[in-house]
Amino acid sequence: MSDFDAELDATGLNCPLPILRAKKAISGLQGGQTLKIIATDPGSVKDFEAFCKQTGNELLSSGEEGGKFMFMIKKAA
Amino acid sequence: MNQRMPAPQRRDSILQAAQALFAEKGFHGVSIDEIAREVDVSPSILYRHFESKQQLYETILQQMSGKRESYVDTVVNSSTSFEDVLIGMTQVYIKSVAENPDMLRIELQSLLDGSSASSAFFKNRWKSFTDYIEFGLNERMAYDIPNREITIMAAGLMFQGMVREALIQKFLQPHDRLEDLSMDELSQELVALFLRAVGINKSHISRKAVIKS
Repeated sequence: MSDFDAELDATGLNCPLPILRAKKAISGLQGGQTLKIIATDPGSVKDFEAFCKQTGNELLSSGEEGGKFMFMIKKAA
Repeated sequence: MNQRMPAPQRRDSILQAAQALFAEKGFHGVSIDEIAREVDVSPSILYRHFESKQQLYETILQQMSGKRESYVDTVVNSSTSFEDVLIGMTQVYIKSVAENPDMLRIELQSLLDGSSASSAFFKNRWKSFTDYIEFGLNERMAYDIPNREITIMAAGLMFQGMVREALIQKFLQPHDRLEDLSMDELSQELVALFLRAVGINKSHISRKAVIKS
């Protein structure tokens, strides 16, 4: 899925900065909109899974590309 | 000799014994023979599970990294104020060391061991705090402060030193000089002092921000 409404570059940042920034970015979106996140912290994979589970936002995809991790999160309606 | 343990259980018992030995004596102070004796197998059986002492040590670090403290709860459940998240993170970190003080011992041993795998591992754990502090202070500190960048970098170091020293006092020293102060109380007081030192005055830390174990 390559459609998103906002993008967050969290490369070089360790937990909790990627999820903290994601939390803030998502609060600026409308329900149903998608945030794309790029991160380099390997711990961010588990972190975003937990984050989505706890906040009710949907983790559309989670993958790795060229040493970076990409996440697509859809804000709950 | 106990030869009948199933392989995964055997592997776990080796990891457990090795972790305790590395914690006590450091990487160079422990031999494969010693670990093998500790779990009551021959070295050749140990080598079936792990290629080398180095690989065994790295597996222990990876296991620690898998159990790595997660700051997700702190971010999701607390207010996202700089102070509240910092306190929450600190408490999560302290709890993870309290549950496995060998982690702290291995960290201290690794500082002198000169192994690049372990130093990178522990540096990465502290990077969560130093990144967070540097970004937070960069946003919050007045721009006309002289030596602003140096102050921000020094603040990260100060925080790390303070927390690590408190952990050493509380978990590694048999007669704790601060035994009347619980780790919880101590950590709250230290973070409050830190915040005053960097000019983020919070005379009263919200009780709601404290995540009780």
